[in-house]
Amino acid sequence: MSLRIQLVIGIITVICILAICNTVRKKKLDLRYGLIWIIVGVCVILLDAFPGVLGWLTGLLGIELPINMLFFMGFCFSLIIIFSLTKTVSDLAHKVKRLTQELALLKRDMENGEE
Amino acid sequence: MKKLVIIPAYNEAGNIVKTVTDVVENAPSFDYVIINDCSKDNTLEICREHGFRVVDLPCNMGIGGGVQTGYLYAKRHGYDIAVQFDGDGQHNASYLEQMAEKLEREHLDMLIGSRYIDKKGFQSSGARRAGIKYFTGLIKLVTGKKITDPTSGMRMVNRDIICQFAEDYPKDYPEPESVVTILKQKKHVEEIAVEMNAREEGTSSISMYNAVYYMIKVSLAILIAAIRK
Repeated sequence: MSLRIQLVIGIITVICILAICNTVRKKKLDLRYGLIWIIVGVCVILLDAFPGVLGWLTGLLGIELPINMLFFMGFCFSLIIIFSLTKTVSDLAHKVKRLTQELALLKRDMENGEE
Repeated sequence: MKKLVIIPAYNEAGNIVKTVTDVVENAPSFDYVIINDCSKDNTLEICREHGFRVVDLPCNMGIGGGVQTGYLYAKRHGYDIAVQFDGDGQHNASYLEQMAEKLEREHLDMLIGSRYIDKKGFQSSGARRAGIKYFTGLIKLVTGKKITDPTSGMRMVNRDIICQFAEDYPKDYPEPESVVTILKQKKHVEEIAVEMNAREEGTSSISMYNAVYYMIKVSLAILIAAIRK
Protein backbone atom coordinates (compact mmCIF):
# COMPACT_ATOMS: atom_id res chain seq x y z
CA MET A 1 0.00 0.00 0.00
CA SER A 2 1.47 3.36 -0.98
CA LEU A 3 1.84 6.17 1.52
CA ARG A 4 -0.45 8.30 -0.65
CA ILE A 5 -3.47 5.96 -0.43
CA GLN A 6 -2.80 5.50 3.30
CA LEU A 7 -3.00 9.25 3.75
CA VAL A 8 -6.14 9.59 1.61
CA ILE A 9 -7.97 6.80 3.47
CA GLY A 10 -6.83 8.20 6.82
CA ILE A 11 -8.07 11.70 6.05
CA ILE A 12 -11.42 10.50 4.69
CA THR A 13 -11.95 8.30 7.76
CA VAL A 14 -11.08 11.10 10.19
CA ILE A 15 -13.54 13.40 8.39
CA CYS A 16 -16.22 10.69 8.62
CA ILE A 17 -15.64 10.16 12.34
CA LEU A 18 -15.80 13.91 12.95
CA ALA A 19 -19.03 14.09 10.94
CA ILE A 20 -20.52 11.26 13.02
CA CYS A 21 -19.44 12.96 16.26
CA ASN A 22 -20.99 16.19 15.04
CA THR A 23 -24.30 14.41 14.30
CA VAL A 24 -24.26 13.01 17.82
CA ARG A 25 -23.39 16.46 19.19
CA LYS A 26 -26.42 17.96 17.40
CA LYS A 27 -28.50 15.14 18.92
CA LYS A 28 -29.58 13.90 15.50
CA LEU A 29 -28.07 10.52 16.31
CA ASP A 30 -28.09 8.74 19.67
CA LEU A 31 -24.60 7.96 20.90
CA ARG A 32 -25.93 4.43 21.47
CA TYR A 33 -26.28 3.98 17.70
CA GLY A 34 -23.41 6.26 16.72
CA LEU A 35 -20.97 4.26 18.80
CA ILE A 36 -20.76 1.31 16.43
CA TRP A 37 -19.95 3.64 13.52
CA ILE A 38 -17.24 5.39 15.51
CA ILE A 39 -15.76 2.00 16.42
CA VAL A 40 -15.76 0.98 12.75
CA GLY A 41 -14.00 4.26 11.92
CA VAL A 42 -11.32 3.70 14.55
CA CYS A 43 -10.75 0.17 13.26
CA VAL A 44 -10.27 1.51 9.71
CA ILE A 45 -7.75 4.06 10.96
CA LEU A 46 -5.82 1.39 12.86
CA LEU A 47 -5.72 -0.91 9.82
CA ASP A 48 -4.71 2.06 7.67
CA ALA A 49 -1.90 3.08 10.02
CA PHE A 50 -0.60 -0.47 10.48
CA PRO A 51 -1.16 -2.31 7.18
CA GLY A 52 0.92 -5.18 8.55
CA VAL A 53 -1.97 -6.16 10.82
CA LEU A 54 -4.22 -6.71 7.80
CA GLY A 55 -1.55 -8.78 6.10
CA TRP A 56 -1.12 -10.87 9.23
CA LEU A 57 -4.89 -11.43 9.57
CA THR A 58 -5.10 -12.35 5.87
CA GLY A 59 -2.45 -14.99 6.30
CA LEU A 60 -4.06 -16.23 9.50
CA LEU A 61 -7.41 -16.91 7.79
CA GLY A 62 -5.77 -18.33 4.68
CA ILE A 63 -7.07 -15.61 2.38
CA GLU A 64 -4.89 -14.84 -0.63
CA LEU A 65 -5.12 -11.07 -1.00
CA PRO A 66 -5.32 -8.51 1.81
CA ILE A 67 -7.95 -6.62 -0.20
CA ASN A 68 -10.27 -9.65 0.03
CA MET A 69 -9.75 -9.70 3.77
CA LEU A 70 -10.81 -6.07 3.81
CA PHE A 71 -13.98 -6.81 1.79
CA PHE A 72 -14.76 -9.74 4.06
CA MET A 73 -14.41 -7.59 7.19
CA GLY A 74 -16.55 -4.84 5.70
CA PHE A 75 -19.23 -7.39 4.84
CA CYS A 76 -19.21 -8.78 8.39
CA PHE A 77 -19.40 -5.30 9.91
CA SER A 78 -22.37 -4.45 7.67
CA LEU A 79 -24.20 -7.63 8.66
CA ILE A 80 -23.72 -6.91 12.35
CA ILE A 81 -25.02 -3.38 11.94
CA ILE A 82 -28.03 -4.49 9.86
CA PHE A 83 -28.88 -7.18 12.37
CA SER A 84 -28.73 -4.76 15.28
CA LEU A 85 -31.00 -2.45 13.27
CA THR A 86 -33.62 -5.14 12.67
CA LYS A 87 -33.50 -5.89 16.39
CA THR A 88 -34.05 -2.21 17.13
CA VAL A 89 -36.96 -2.06 14.67
CA SER A 90 -38.61 -5.09 16.34
CA ASP A 91 -38.21 -3.47 19.71
CA LEU A 92 -39.69 -0.20 18.44
CA ALA A 93 -42.59 -1.99 16.73
CA HIS A 94 -43.37 -3.73 20.00
CA LYS A 95 -43.37 -0.45 21.89
CA VAL A 96 -45.49 1.31 19.26
CA LYS A 97 -48.01 -1.55 19.43
CA ARG A 98 -48.32 -1.26 23.20
CA LEU A 99 -48.61 2.54 23.02
CA THR A 100 -51.31 2.33 20.34
CA GLN A 101 -53.29 -0.16 22.42
CA GLU A 102 -52.98 1.95 25.56
CA LEU A 103 -54.06 5.04 23.63
CA ALA A 104 -57.11 3.27 22.20
CA LEU A 105 -58.16 1.99 25.63
CA LEU A 106 -57.61 5.42 27.15
CA LYS A 107 -59.83 6.99 24.46
CA ARG A 108 -62.45 4.39 25.27
CA ASP A 109 -62.28 5.20 29.01
CA MET A 110 -62.67 8.90 28.26
CA GLU A 111 -65.74 8.25 26.09
CA ASN A 112 -67.11 6.16 28.93
CA GLY A 113 -66.69 9.12 31.28
CA GLU A 114 -68.64 11.38 28.92
CA GLU A 115 -71.56 9.00 28.51
CA MET B 1 -68.99 -14.34 35.98
CA LYS B 2 -68.14 -11.45 33.68
CA LYS B 3 -67.95 -12.53 30.07
CA LEU B 4 -66.67 -10.53 27.13
CA VAL B 5 -66.96 -10.97 23.38
CA ILE B 6 -64.00 -9.43 21.55
CA ILE B 7 -64.98 -8.46 18.01
CA PRO B 8 -61.98 -7.44 15.90
CA ALA B 9 -63.15 -5.38 12.92
CA TYR B 10 -61.20 -4.14 9.93
CA ASN B 11 -63.29 -2.70 7.10
CA GLU B 12 -66.42 -4.51 8.23
CA ALA B 13 -68.97 -1.76 7.57
CA GLY B 14 -71.19 -4.27 5.77
CA ASN B 15 -71.16 -6.88 8.53
CA ILE B 16 -70.66 -5.17 11.87
CA VAL B 17 -74.29 -4.32 12.67
CA LYS B 18 -75.39 -7.88 11.94
CA THR B 19 -72.55 -9.31 14.01
CA VAL B 20 -73.26 -7.15 17.04
CA THR B 21 -77.02 -7.78 16.81
CA ASP B 22 -76.28 -11.50 16.69
CA VAL B 23 -74.14 -11.27 19.84
CA VAL B 24 -76.60 -9.09 21.76
CA GLU B 25 -79.57 -11.28 20.89
CA ASN B 26 -78.05 -14.74 21.09
CA ALA B 27 -75.48 -14.30 23.85
CA PRO B 28 -77.25 -12.04 26.35
CA SER B 29 -74.99 -12.89 29.31
CA PHE B 30 -71.96 -11.53 27.43
CA ASP B 31 -70.67 -7.99 27.15
CA TYR B 32 -69.00 -7.16 23.87
CA VAL B 33 -66.33 -4.79 22.66
CA ILE B 34 -65.50 -3.99 19.04
CA ILE B 35 -61.85 -3.39 18.26
CA ASN B 36 -61.82 -1.13 15.22
CA ASP B 37 -58.38 -1.70 13.71
CA CYS B 38 -58.21 1.65 11.96
CA SER B 39 -60.72 0.66 9.27
CA LYS B 40 -60.54 2.64 6.03
CA ASP B 41 -64.30 2.40 5.48
CA ASN B 42 -66.93 3.83 7.79
CA THR B 43 -66.99 0.94 10.30
CA LEU B 44 -66.26 3.37 13.12
CA GLU B 45 -69.02 5.80 12.13
CA ILE B 46 -71.55 2.96 11.93
CA CYS B 47 -70.52 1.75 15.40
CA ARG B 48 -70.84 5.26 16.85
CA GLU B 49 -74.22 5.80 15.18
CA HIS B 50 -75.59 2.63 16.73
CA GLY B 51 -73.97 3.39 20.08
CA PHE B 52 -71.86 0.21 20.00
CA ARG B 53 -69.03 -0.11 22.50
CA VAL B 54 -65.94 0.33 20.37
CA VAL B 55 -62.23 0.66 21.04
CA ASP B 56 -60.75 2.63 18.17
CA LEU B 57 -57.09 1.91 17.38
CA PRO B 58 -55.35 5.00 15.97
CA CYS B 59 -53.02 2.90 13.78
CA ASN B 60 -53.61 -0.38 11.99
CA MET B 61 -52.20 -3.15 14.21
CA GLY B 62 -53.17 -6.25 12.26
CA ILE B 63 -55.32 -9.02 13.70
CA GLY B 64 -52.87 -9.98 16.46
CA GLY B 65 -52.42 -6.50 17.88
CA GLY B 66 -56.14 -5.81 17.53
CA VAL B 67 -57.29 -8.91 19.36
CA GLN B 68 -54.64 -8.35 22.01
CA THR B 69 -56.19 -4.92 22.65
CA GLY B 70 -59.40 -6.82 23.40
CA TYR B 71 -57.61 -9.08 25.88
CA LEU B 72 -56.02 -6.03 27.49
CA TYR B 73 -59.49 -4.52 27.80
CA ALA B 74 -60.80 -7.77 29.33
CA LYS B 75 -57.91 -7.85 31.79
CA ARG B 76 -58.36 -4.23 32.87
CA HIS B 77 -62.10 -4.57 33.31
CA GLY B 78 -61.90 -7.78 35.30
CA TYR B 79 -63.52 -10.21 32.89
CA ASP B 80 -63.39 -13.92 33.80
CA ILE B 81 -64.02 -15.21 30.30
CA ALA B 82 -63.22 -13.68 26.92
CA VAL B 83 -64.05 -15.00 23.48
CA GLN B 84 -62.86 -13.87 20.08
CA PHE B 85 -65.61 -13.45 17.58
CA ASP B 86 -64.97 -12.36 14.00
CA GLY B 87 -66.61 -9.13 12.90
CA ASP B 88 -67.29 -10.46 9.41
CA GLY B 89 -70.38 -12.56 10.15
CA GLN B 90 -68.60 -15.92 9.88
CA HIS B 91 -69.30 -16.91 13.47
CA ASN B 92 -72.64 -17.67 15.10
CA ALA B 93 -73.24 -16.15 18.52
CA SER B 94 -75.74 -18.87 19.40
CA TYR B 95 -72.80 -21.11 20.37
CA LEU B 96 -71.32 -18.69 22.87
CA GLU B 97 -73.51 -19.59 25.86
CA GLN B 98 -72.88 -23.31 25.53
CA MET B 99 -69.17 -22.66 25.01
CA ALA B 100 -69.00 -20.65 28.25
CA GLU B 101 -70.88 -23.38 30.07
CA LYS B 102 -68.49 -26.07 28.81
CA LEU B 103 -65.45 -23.92 29.64
CA GLU B 104 -66.66 -23.49 33.22
CA ARG B 105 -67.93 -27.01 33.75
CA GLU B 106 -64.77 -28.68 32.51
CA HIS B 107 -62.41 -26.05 33.94
CA LEU B 108 -60.80 -25.49 30.55
CA ASP B 109 -58.21 -22.85 29.82
CA MET B 110 -59.16 -22.53 26.17
CA LEU B 111 -62.10 -23.73 24.12
CA ILE B 112 -61.91 -23.55 20.33
CA GLY B 113 -64.96 -23.52 18.09
CA SER B 114 -64.16 -26.06 15.38
CA ARG B 115 -65.75 -26.42 11.95
CA TYR B 116 -64.27 -29.86 11.46
CA ILE B 117 -65.83 -31.93 14.22
CA ASP B 118 -69.34 -32.18 12.81
CA LYS B 119 -68.18 -31.00 9.38
CA LYS B 120 -71.28 -28.87 8.96
CA GLY B 121 -71.68 -25.36 7.59
CA PHE B 122 -68.96 -23.46 5.75
CA GLN B 123 -65.90 -25.68 5.37
CA SER B 124 -63.54 -23.31 3.52
CA SER B 125 -61.90 -24.07 0.18
CA GLY B 126 -59.96 -27.24 -0.53
CA ALA B 127 -56.56 -25.56 -0.48
CA ARG B 128 -57.24 -23.95 2.87
CA ARG B 129 -58.57 -27.17 4.32
CA ALA B 130 -55.35 -28.87 3.25
CA GLY B 131 -53.36 -26.10 4.95
CA ILE B 132 -55.39 -26.48 8.13
CA LYS B 133 -54.91 -30.26 8.08
CA TYR B 134 -51.19 -29.69 7.81
CA PHE B 135 -51.22 -27.42 10.87
CA THR B 136 -53.32 -29.95 12.77
CA GLY B 137 -50.61 -32.52 12.01
CA LEU B 138 -47.76 -30.20 12.94
CA ILE B 139 -49.39 -29.24 16.25
CA LYS B 140 -50.07 -32.90 17.01
CA LEU B 141 -46.41 -33.58 16.33
CA VAL B 142 -45.04 -30.93 18.69
CA THR B 143 -47.66 -31.07 21.45
CA GLY B 144 -49.31 -34.47 21.11
CA LYS B 145 -52.75 -32.85 21.07
CA LYS B 146 -55.11 -33.01 18.10
CA ILE B 147 -56.64 -29.63 17.31
CA THR B 148 -58.95 -30.09 14.34
CA ASP B 149 -59.36 -26.37 13.62
CA PRO B 150 -56.19 -24.57 14.76
CA THR B 151 -56.88 -21.50 12.61
CA SER B 152 -60.36 -20.95 14.04
CA GLY B 153 -60.87 -17.37 15.16
CA MET B 154 -63.59 -18.42 17.56
CA ARG B 155 -61.78 -19.13 20.80
CA MET B 156 -62.84 -18.72 24.38
CA VAL B 157 -60.33 -18.41 27.21
CA ASN B 158 -60.38 -18.08 30.98
CA ARG B 159 -58.97 -15.26 33.14
CA ASP B 160 -55.56 -16.87 33.35
CA ILE B 161 -55.11 -16.90 29.57
CA ILE B 162 -56.68 -13.44 29.20
CA CYS B 163 -53.88 -12.02 31.35
CA GLN B 164 -51.27 -13.99 29.44
CA PHE B 165 -52.55 -12.91 26.01
CA ALA B 166 -52.77 -9.29 27.19
CA GLU B 167 -49.01 -9.37 27.77
CA ASP B 168 -47.91 -11.55 24.90
CA TYR B 169 -49.76 -12.36 21.71
CA PRO B 170 -48.36 -13.02 18.22
CA LYS B 171 -48.57 -10.13 15.80
CA ASP B 172 -49.93 -11.71 12.65
CA TYR B 173 -51.69 -15.02 12.02
CA PRO B 174 -51.73 -15.61 15.76
CA GLU B 175 -54.16 -18.51 16.14
CA PRO B 176 -52.11 -21.70 15.61
CA GLU B 177 -49.02 -20.27 17.30
CA SER B 178 -50.86 -19.17 20.44
CA VAL B 179 -52.58 -22.56 20.75
CA VAL B 180 -49.16 -24.23 20.76
CA THR B 181 -47.86 -21.75 23.35
CA ILE B 182 -50.82 -22.57 25.60
CA LEU B 183 -50.56 -26.33 25.06
CA LYS B 184 -46.85 -26.27 25.86
CA GLN B 185 -47.70 -24.89 29.29
CA LYS B 186 -49.79 -27.99 29.90
CA LYS B 187 -52.97 -25.93 29.82
CA HIS B 188 -56.26 -27.59 29.12
CA VAL B 189 -57.45 -26.91 25.56
CA GLU B 190 -60.55 -28.48 24.07
CA GLU B 191 -62.68 -28.02 20.95
CA ILE B 192 -66.39 -27.79 20.45
CA ALA B 193 -68.31 -28.36 17.23
CA VAL B 194 -69.64 -25.17 15.65
CA GLU B 195 -71.03 -24.18 12.30
CA MET B 196 -69.56 -21.19 10.53
CA ASN B 197 -70.88 -19.15 7.62
CA ALA B 198 -69.12 -18.15 4.44
CA ARG B 199 -68.18 -14.48 4.67
CA GLU B 200 -70.72 -12.31 2.92
CA GLU B 201 -68.82 -9.06 2.55
CA GLY B 202 -65.23 -7.97 2.86
CA THR B 203 -62.22 -10.16 2.17
CA SER B 204 -60.41 -12.73 4.27
CA SER B 205 -57.17 -11.63 5.91
CA ILE B 206 -55.39 -14.42 4.02
CA SER B 207 -55.14 -13.89 0.27
CA MET B 208 -53.42 -16.24 -2.16
CA TYR B 209 -50.54 -13.78 -2.33
CA ASN B 210 -49.96 -14.21 1.39
CA ALA B 211 -50.49 -17.96 1.48
CA VAL B 212 -46.82 -18.88 1.08
CA TYR B 213 -45.72 -16.41 3.73
CA TYR B 214 -48.51 -17.66 5.95
CA MET B 215 -47.47 -21.31 5.70
CA ILE B 216 -43.79 -20.60 6.31
CA LYS B 217 -44.31 -18.07 9.06
CA VAL B 218 -46.84 -20.07 11.02
CA SER B 219 -44.85 -23.31 10.67
CA LEU B 220 -41.75 -21.59 12.02
CA ALA B 221 -43.75 -19.88 14.75
CA ILE B 222 -45.18 -23.22 15.86
CA LEU B 223 -41.75 -24.82 15.98
CA ILE B 224 -40.28 -21.88 17.89
CA ALA B 225 -43.23 -21.83 20.29
CA ALA B 226 -42.67 -25.55 20.82
CA ILE B 227 -39.05 -25.11 21.95
CA ARG B 228 -39.66 -21.89 23.89
CA LYS B 229 -39.55 -22.20 27.64
